[in-house]
Parts: sequence; structure tokens; C-alpha cells
Amino acid sequence: MLMRPFLTMQLGDRIITLMAALVLVLQIAMVAQRWIVTHIRIFAAQSFFLAIIAATIAWLNHAPHIYVAAALTLVVKVVLVPLLFERLVDRMQIHKEIEPIVNVPLSVLIAGGLTLVGYVVAESFYRPEERGLGHNALAVAISLFLIGFFTIINRRKALTQVLALLSLENGLFLAAISLTYGMPLIVELGVFFDVLVAAMVLGILVYRIRESFESMDVSRLRRLRG
Amino acid sequence: MLIVALLLIPIAAAAASFLARGRALMERANLAASVATFSVAVALGGRVLASGAISLGNGFFFADSLSALVILLTAAVSLVCSTYSIGYLRDDQNSGALGNDEDGREPLRQLRMYYSLTPLFVFSMLFMAVANNLGVMWVAIEATTLASIFLVTFYGKVTSLEAAWKYAIIGGVGLSMALFGTLVAYYAGHSLAGSEALHGLNWSVLAEHAAQLDKTSMRLAFALILLGYGTKAGLAPMHTWKPDAYSEAPVPSAAILSSAMLNCALYGLIRFYILTSRSLGTEYPSRLLLLFGLLSMGISVPFVLVQKNYRRLLAYHTIDHAGIMVTALGLGGALGSLGLMLHMTFHTIAKSLLFLCAGNVQQHFRTDLFSGIKGSVLRAMPLTGVIFLMAMLAIIGMPPFSLFQSEFLIVRAAFDGGHALTGVLFVLFGTGVFAGALLHVGGMILGPAGDMPVAGPRPWRNGSLLVLAAALVVIGFWVPAPLLELIRGAAQVVSGQ
Repeated sequence: MLMRPFLTMQLGDRIITLMAALVLVLQIAMVAQRWIVTHIRIFAAQSFFLAIIAATIAWLNHAPHIYVAAALTLVVKVVLVPLLFERLVDRMQIHKEIEPIVNVPLSVLIAGGLTLVGYVVAESFYRPEERGLGHNALAVAISLFLIGFFTIINRRKALTQVLALLSLENGLFLAAISLTYGMPLIVELGVFFDVLVAAMVLGILVYRIRESFESMDVSRLRRLRG
Repeated sequence: MLIVALLLIPIAAAAASFLARGRALMERANLAASVATFSVAVALGGRVLASGAISLGNGFFFADSLSALVILLTAAVSLVCSTYSIGYLRDDQNSGALGNDEDGREPLRQLRMYYSLTPLFVFSMLFMAVANNLGVMWVAIEATTLASIFLVTFYGKVTSLEAAWKYAIIGGVGLSMALFGTLVAYYAGHSLAGSEALHGLNWSVLAEHAAQLDKTSMRLAFALILLGYGTKAGLAPMHTWKPDAYSEAPVPSAAILSSAMLNCALYGLIRFYILTSRSLGTEYPSRLLLLFGLLSMGISVPFVLVQKNYRRLLAYHTIDHAGIMVTALGLGGALGSLGLMLHMTFHTIAKSLLFLCAGNVQQHFRTDLFSGIKGSVLRAMPLTGVIFLMAMLAIIGMPPFSLFQSEFLIVRAAFDGGHALTGVLFVLFGTGVFAGALLHVGGMILGPAGDMPVAGPRPWRNGSLLVLAAALVVIGFWVPAPLLELIRGAAQVVSGQ
């Protein structure tokens, strides 16, 4: 593979590490955040930084198909999905999240712990002999995945759970570009299509739950047992 | 060509139903499409038998005996369900179960949703079975969830929304783990010589070079895939969405979910099992599979025993059978794989039949609770009663029905392979489910004479029941030679022997 000169490489690595750090900070901010609109915007910002990471990697490695992934991230996760969800919030007139199941300071602490786990797991993939992205990006990816998972369990509002699911998917995207420079393009396209459809389907479902329950507190969904 | 036809037919049916302005056209489009899909699936099976695995589009599509069997089963279920649903939805429409029916117009919005989502659902299952690229396969499995969410919310009740929400979120989280697993498998193979980026995720390429895959990564990949596709298959402890979704969806959709979609989730798991066992040997995947399989079988026992709702009973039954099939996969070897493939075939027939019978009962008695059925099903609706009881006896493994043979094979595989504990637990859990199911369903069907009126003729529904029931009886004594050949071929793909 054709490589850029060493200095540019180093610059690129720095950009990626910085962006990955921002992505992680935003993920933890989501855990602490209680306003839904802010939550949506944090998600959009996180996706934006992911797109920058993807573009940087594409530029460093001359991999045009990652540019496509970056552009798709920009269109789908930075623009379309947040727009869709903000309209949904407007229509539903729900702005504030109720208290999460674990309180906020403790949630942030748990998120910090999960980040540590992410670093430990990423360590096992680290091959110093391969010129990879360093394991920072991968560690962040795994942390994103774990924290997203935790947020789904921890939050009670339907829309917040959907956002957590999407941020978990962001973690997967980051893992994909840092482990293998992205999946094959056809898979990448399929995944983006699925994400977009899933966001719409779940959005409609959230709206209908809100209509029928007068709330989107999913802890009220308790009729079906046994 | 066959593969392309297989995928285009359901898409065309979905489009036709979406654009149609009346119920009749939707019914015809669906029926015609499912007949056509089934014929193509049979032809594909014949082709695979005659000339081995086929691939198309530079290796993008790939079908061996395993894919052909899954496709055949999916197409068969979809054919029976599409005939059944004609009668089922007409009944729903007449009884007002479809909601706002003022000034006597057809509830077109709901019919359109059902008749266009069902072919899309079938399409994504077929697409999954012919996709060679593991990433594309994941996309298709995710698409099955997305296509079926609004089938679960079909009746728009509060409980259906709850069921759909669980289905969507648990399924979404599970499938993201599966995507992670797929990604790690890609990583395990991406340093392979000769695997370009485009083909690096192709199953046939990875299977050929399985010995060179990175072993640590494959371990992680398999664990993630088992959790991911296991969620989709409803293995315990990720099974909680299953009883809800199966009891809230319209009956034909529930039948597809519980048989064809279960097969598809298992199919994804099996593909990764083959890669993992060729790369790491069978011991590591076996241990995990046996653990989850036995857990699923064990967990379903108490729920079957105390169940009050017959559709949920069937759902827990499906969890039990998912456990049986995963256990069979874990036992592996020639015997275990053959048991698995036979069981998959027999279970598909018996379970979809059971759901369709349950649908008949539910539409006649207007309840899905055992306690709500005053009187015996046998007297009110003799045909459904007989078939329901027969299918129940079949699925709990009574001889002479076919599931006895496959379960017997699996138990033999357990004892032959030195998994005595697995064998003992298998029989024990089987007995528990046997007792629970027989107790409840026997009581419901053979109960005292009630005052329910005898059901009128229902040609579409009872016709579908009769065809499936005939298949169930016949297959217990005689499996057609080509089908058996296909099953054996699929088992060989799994065991590699």
C-alpha cells in the first residue's frame, strides 16, 4: 500500500487520537445528559468526529471506499437521523429524561470503568509489528460499545434507548475502520441502509408508544410476563 | 438465474401489494409469488443436488445444500402461510379485529402493511441464505427484524407495542454483537494471502482458508456471533422477546417467525460454527453451544409447565427446540449434524402447523388463554382439534412422528460422543416439556362439551392445515429421496465429513 511520508503519518495519527478522545468524551457526556434534544445533538457531534476519523484514515491510506463511508456517516448520522429525531421530539413534546435507573454520578463512574475494560480488551488485538492505528481507536470503539450497552439498560425513555443503540453502532463503525480499514464497501452500504431504516422504524415505534401510553417511559411496558 | 428469480419474486409481490388498491389483488399477488418462490426453491434444491454448490455474480451469491435446505423450508412455510393468511385476514376483517371499519370499507392500510411487509420479510430470509459475504448476511438478518417489527404491531394494541419494542431493542443489541463478531472474523482473515478486500468476508473463501485464520480473533468472533445470532434465535437467556412477539403478531407471521426465521438465525450461527470448528477444532465452539442449548431447553421447562396462554406455550416450545438444535450443533460430528438438519426440517413443519392451528382456535374462541376456552376444541372444530393434538404429539417427540427420530438421533449422538451428561439432561428437559405441553393442550382439546357453536367451513385455513398435516404424517414414515439427499448434504456441510 502506498504510504504518506512519515511526518504526515504522525500528524494523521494525532488527529485520529484526538478525534477518538473527543468521541469518547461525548459518549460519556451522553451518559450524564438528561435533555433529549442535547442528547441528539451530542450524538450528531460524535458521528461528525467519527466521519473526520474515517476521512483521515482514507486520506492516509489512499482508500477511496473509506471516503464513501465517511460521507455516508455525515449524511446519515450527522444530518438525517438527528433531524428525524428532533422532529419527533418536537411532535411529542417530551424534552427531559426522567431519572436514570443508576444515578448520574455513578453512571459516569461506571462508564469510566467500562472504558478501562475497553482498553484491556483492545490490548489483546495490539500487534506492534503491524503498522496499525494504534490501539487507542480500537479501545475507544470497544468502550463506545460497552457504554452504549450500559446506557440502553440504564435509561427508561424509548428515544434515549434508540440513541444509545445508535451510539453503540458508532462504536462498531470505529472498530471496523480501526481494525480492518472498514468493511468491504457493499457491507458498509448495507449497514448504513439498515441503520437508516432502523432509525425510522424505531422512530415510528417510539411515536406510537408515546401515543398509546401517554409516555415513552419503557419501564411502563410491563404487561407481558411469563 | 434461479437465485435472482428467487430474490426478485418476493420483491415484486411486495411492490404489487403496496400499490394495490384492493384486497383481492394483494391476496393474489402474495399467493402467486409464494407459489413461484416455492417452485424456484425446489428447482434450486434440484440444481444443488445435481451439480453441487452454485455461485453467482463473482461469488457474491453462493448456495450449497445447507442454503438450499433453508431456502426450501422458508419457501414452504411462506407458501402455506400465504394461503392461510387469506382466510385469516378475511376473518379478522369481518370480525372487526382490524379496527376502524366504519362505513364498511376495507381496512386497506393494515392489509397493505401485512401483504407488503410479509414478502419483504421472506425476501430478507432468502437473501440471507444465498449471501456468501458474511457482512451481507448480517445486513439481511437485520433486515428480517426491520421487516417484521410492524408485523408484530399489526393489531396496534398496547401489548403489541410492548412486544415490538422488546423485539426491536433486544434484537438490535443482539445483532450489533453479531456485527461485531462478523467484523472480528473479517479481521481474523484479512491478513490472509490472496483475500482481497472484496472477497475477504466471503464465507467460501474463509472456509477454504480456515486453518490460517487468526485463532484468538476467531474465539472472540464465535462468542460474539453466538450471543448475536443466538439472540435472534431466542436462546436463553436472550429469549425474553420471543413469547411476546409470537403471541402478539398475527398468526401467519408468528408461524413464519417461529419456524423460518429461527432456521435463518441458526443458519447464520452454523456458518460461523463451520469456520470456527475448521480453524480451532470443535471443542471450543461445542462447549459454548452445549451450554446455551441446554440452558434454553432447561429454561423453557418451568414456563411450559405453568403457562396460561397457548400461543406463549408454543413460543416457549420454540425456545426449547432452538435449544435442541443448538445442542445438536454442539454435539456435532456426522450424527449430530444429521440430527440437527432432520430436526430443523421436521420442526419447521410441525411448529408452523401448530401456530396455524392455534390461529384457528383463537379466531373461533376469541381468546388466547387456556382458561378462556369453554368447552372442547375437538367438538367445536373437529378438524383443527385433531390436527392440533396430532401436531402437539409430534412436536413433543412421540413416535411414530418424525421428531422422535431426530431427537433420538441427537440423544444417540450425545451418548456416542461421550457427552453423557448432555444426553441425560436432554432427556430430562424433554420429559418436562412433554408433560407440560400434553397436560395443557390435551386439556384444551379434549375438554368437556361446551356451548361454543360448531365452526363453519374455512377453506383457506383448513386447506393449509390439511396440507401441512399430511406432510407431517408422511414425513414420519417416508422422507422423499431427494429431500433426504439434501438433508444429508447439508449435514455434510456442517460436519465437514
